[in-house]
Amino acid sequence: MIRHELHALTERVKAKQEHFKHRICVCCGASCISSGAEEVLHKLQEEIKSRGLEETVEVIPTGCMGPCNQGPLVKYLPEQTIYQKVDCDNIQRVVQSQLVENKPLEDLLLFADSREKAFVNANEDPFFKQQQKIALKDCGDINPESIEDYLIAGGYQALDKALFLLSPEEVIAEVKQSRIRGRGGAGYPTGLKWETVYKYVSDQKYVICNGDEGDPGAFMDRSVLEGNPHRVLESMAIAGYAIGATKGYAYIRGEYPLEIKRFELAIKQATKTGLLGKNILGSNFRFEVEVRIGAGAVVCGEETALIASIEGKRGTPRPRPPFPAESGLWGKPTLINNVETFAAIAPIILNGGEWYSETGTPKSAGTKVFALAGKINYSGLIEVPMGTTLREIVFDIGGGIQNGAEFKAAQTGGPSGGCIPAAHLDVKMDYESLMSLGSIMGSGGLIVMDKSSDMVDVARYFMEFSMDESCGKCIPCRVGTKMMHDLLQKIGDGKATQIDLDRLEELAEYVRDTSLCGLGASAPNPLLSTLRHFREEYVSKILPAE
Amino acid sequence: MNKIPVVINDTKLEVDPHKTILEVCREHDIEILTMCHLKGIIDIGACRLCLVEVEGVHKLMSACTTKVAPNMVVKTSTERIRRYQLITTELFFAERNHVCAVCVSNGKCELQQLGYKVGLDSIRYPFLYPQCDVDTSHAWYVMDHNRCIMCTRCVRVCNEVEGAHNWDVMNRGHQVRIISDFNTPWGESISCTSCGKCLHACPTGAIWPKAIVQGQLQKNPAMITELIARRKMKL
Repeated sequence: MIRHELHALTERVKAKQEHFKHRICVCCGASCISSGAEEVLHKLQEEIKSRGLEETVEVIPTGCMGPCNQGPLVKYLPEQTIYQKVDCDNIQRVVQSQLVENKPLEDLLLFADSREKAFVNANEDPFFKQQQKIALKDCGDINPESIEDYLIAGGYQALDKALFLLSPEEVIAEVKQSRIRGRGGAGYPTGLKWETVYKYVSDQKYVICNGDEGDPGAFMDRSVLEGNPHRVLESMAIAGYAIGATKGYAYIRGEYPLEIKRFELAIKQATKTGLLGKNILGSNFRFEVEVRIGAGAVVCGEETALIASIEGKRGTPRPRPPFPAESGLWGKPTLINNVETFAAIAPIILNGGEWYSETGTPKSAGTKVFALAGKINYSGLIEVPMGTTLREIVFDIGGGIQNGAEFKAAQTGGPSGGCIPAAHLDVKMDYESLMSLGSIMGSGGLIVMDKSSDMVDVARYFMEFSMDESCGKCIPCRVGTKMMHDLLQKIGDGKATQIDLDRLEELAEYVRDTSLCGLGASAPNPLLSTLRHFREEYVSKILPAE
Repeated sequence: MNKIPVVINDTKLEVDPHKTILEVCREHDIEILTMCHLKGIIDIGACRLCLVEVEGVHKLMSACTTKVAPNMVVKTSTERIRRYQLITTELFFAERNHVCAVCVSNGKCELQQLGYKVGLDSIRYPFLYPQCDVDTSHAWYVMDHNRCIMCTRCVRVCNEVEGAHNWDVMNRGHQVRIISDFNTPWGESISCTSCGKCLHACPTGAIWPKAIVQGQLQKNPAMITELIARRKMKL
C-alpha cells in the first residue's frame, strides 16, 4: 500500500459505514466481560436484528469505558448515553426506549442509582467531565478488533505524517517538545530516551513495548491494549522510524489473554493492510512487531529483566549501566517504553509536541491514566491532566468514599509507592509532588482506603507482595524483604518492641539504598510512607519497654 | 591506550578506561569486599558488598560492574558503606543454616572471612532456618543448600568455563535454590561433566567432595581464573 492509498482506504471504510445512524458500543473490557458483557453483546445484536434495525444501527464490542464497577456498560453514539448494569433481561427495555421511542431510559442511565439526577449525555457527568482523554481517546468508542474502526478514528495518520513529512530527528524533536515522561513509573523524559537510542550507531536496534503491568490494583496498560491496540502498534512503528529500528517486541503478561489476542490480531490486520512489514505506505521503512508473553513475574517489568526474558533467559535484572539504550536486547541499542507512553505518541506526532505540553504542569506534561480501586464509589479507569488534585480524583470523579465513610489514605504506585494521608488530599498528582510526600506516581494504580484500613497491615501486605516477587538475585531484596515482612507481621501481632521497629527502619533504608534494581529499591516505600504519615499506628502496637 | 584520571578515596590515579572500579581498586591495593565476584567469569553485581559511592550519582554503584570514567570520584569505605556491608553479612548468615563449627569449609570459608573482616560479633536479625536439602546423589560431590549464599559462581563457572550449564536457579525471592539440570538430583544429571570447577568456585561449604570431613576442605578458586587466562592466551 502506498501513501495516498491510506487516505483512499480510510474514505472507503468510512463510506461503508455511512448508512449507520446509531452505534451501540458494548464495553468488552475485562471487567465488563466478567460481569456478562459478551452475552449482552450477542443478545443486543439479536435484538437489533429481530427489530429489523441492522441497516441503521451497528452493535460493536469496545474496550474499557471507565466506570468499571457499574458494568456491563452500553453506550449509544452519537448521543453519548451510557447505560449501566445492562443484562439480558433489561436489554429490550433499553432498545425500545432509546431506539424506538427515542427517549433515554432514565432508571438505567449511568449512575442513576447513586446520583440525584443522572446525565443523558455521559460526558456531562462529573466522572467524565473532569477527565481529558488522550491515551484513552477512542477507547470505548471503537471496536478494538477492527482496523477499519481505527482508520475512521484517524488511525495511522500519525505514522503517515512521520514517514512522509518528518525526518527521524523531527519526530524526536516533537516528542521532546511534548515533554512527555515515561508512564511506566520512573518518569524519565521520553524524548531524551529516544534521542539517546537514536544516537547510537548499530546495524540493528529494537523497540520494546513494556506491557508487563503487574502492580496490584493496576489495569491501565491492560485497558489501553484491550481497547485500542492499533494505537500502540502505530506508535511503536513511529518509534522504530525515529530511532532506526526495524523490529519491535511487545512484552505482555500471560495473565492478560484478551490483551494478547487483540494485540496479535492488530498485528495481523496491520501487516495485511501494509501498515507493518516492508515498504510501509510505500516508503523505504520496514517494521515488524512480535508479541512475547510474560510468565507472571512482576520483576520482568523491570527493563533489564524484561530484556533477559525476551532473550529466553531467566527474568532477572542486571546492574545498569550499560542502559538498554546502549546495550539492550541481544546487546543492541534498545528503546523500551511503557504501553501508556506509546498510547500518547501517535496523538503527539499528529497534533504536535506543543499541543501535548499545554496540558498538565510545567514539569509533568500531558495526562495520566489512573486505575481507581479500593473503598471508592466509582472505581474504574480514568485519564486526567497531570496536576489534578487527589481530592478531585477521589471525590469529584470517584464519587467519594463508599457508604459515606471518611477518607484515610490513598496508595499510589502500588507496592513501589506510598500512601497519601487525608492532610494531603490537595496534593497535585504529578511526579515531583508525589515524590515529595514519599510516594511515587508509579504506573497509575490508585487504591483508596477508608478508616477501616490498618496501615501496618497495608504495609505488610505490600511487603508480602514485594517479598514474593523478589527475583532473589541480590541479597538486600531477597532476604531484606523477608525480614521486613516478618517484622511487620510481628508488629501487627502485637509482639514487637521498640528494638524491632528500629531494626525495621534500618532495614528499610538499607534495602532502598543497596538493592540491585527498582523492585528492591522501592519495596520499602509503602513501609516508609506509612511510618511517615501514620507512625502512631505503629507505636500503638509496640510492647512497652520492660 | 591512553590512561584516564580518577580519584579513589582522595587518591589520584591514572587508570585504563576499559576497567571496572573493582579491577582498578584491586590493582592499587584498595580493599573492596566481594562475594559473587570471581575473576574471569561475568560479574553480576548480586552480593552488593562491593557497593561504592560515586560522586554525582545518587545510587550506590557495584564496583564489579561499573566501569571507570574520566574524573570519576569514588569512595569505597564511607561510614554508610561499612554499615551496609555489616548488614549484608548479617543477612547472609541469617538466611540459611551456617554452622561453622560442623562445616567442611570451617577456616577456609570466604563467608566466614567476610564475617571477621566486617567485625561481625552477633547477628541482630532472626535466623530464617529454612529447610534445605543436602544432595549427596553425585558419586564424588555433595551439594549442601544450607550453606549456599546464592552467589551463583557455580552456575556461571559451569556455563561459561566448562560449557556444561548443569547449574541454574529456580524459584524467586528467599525461596531461590540452585538446581542441577531441571531440578533433578545431581547424580542423575545428564549435563554435569563432574569436572569439579563449581566446587572450587563455591565460596562456602555448599559444594564439597565426599572424601573429606569437617574443616578439611581445600578450595582453589584462583585455579579457575588461571584456567580462563590460559585459554585466552591459546586463542
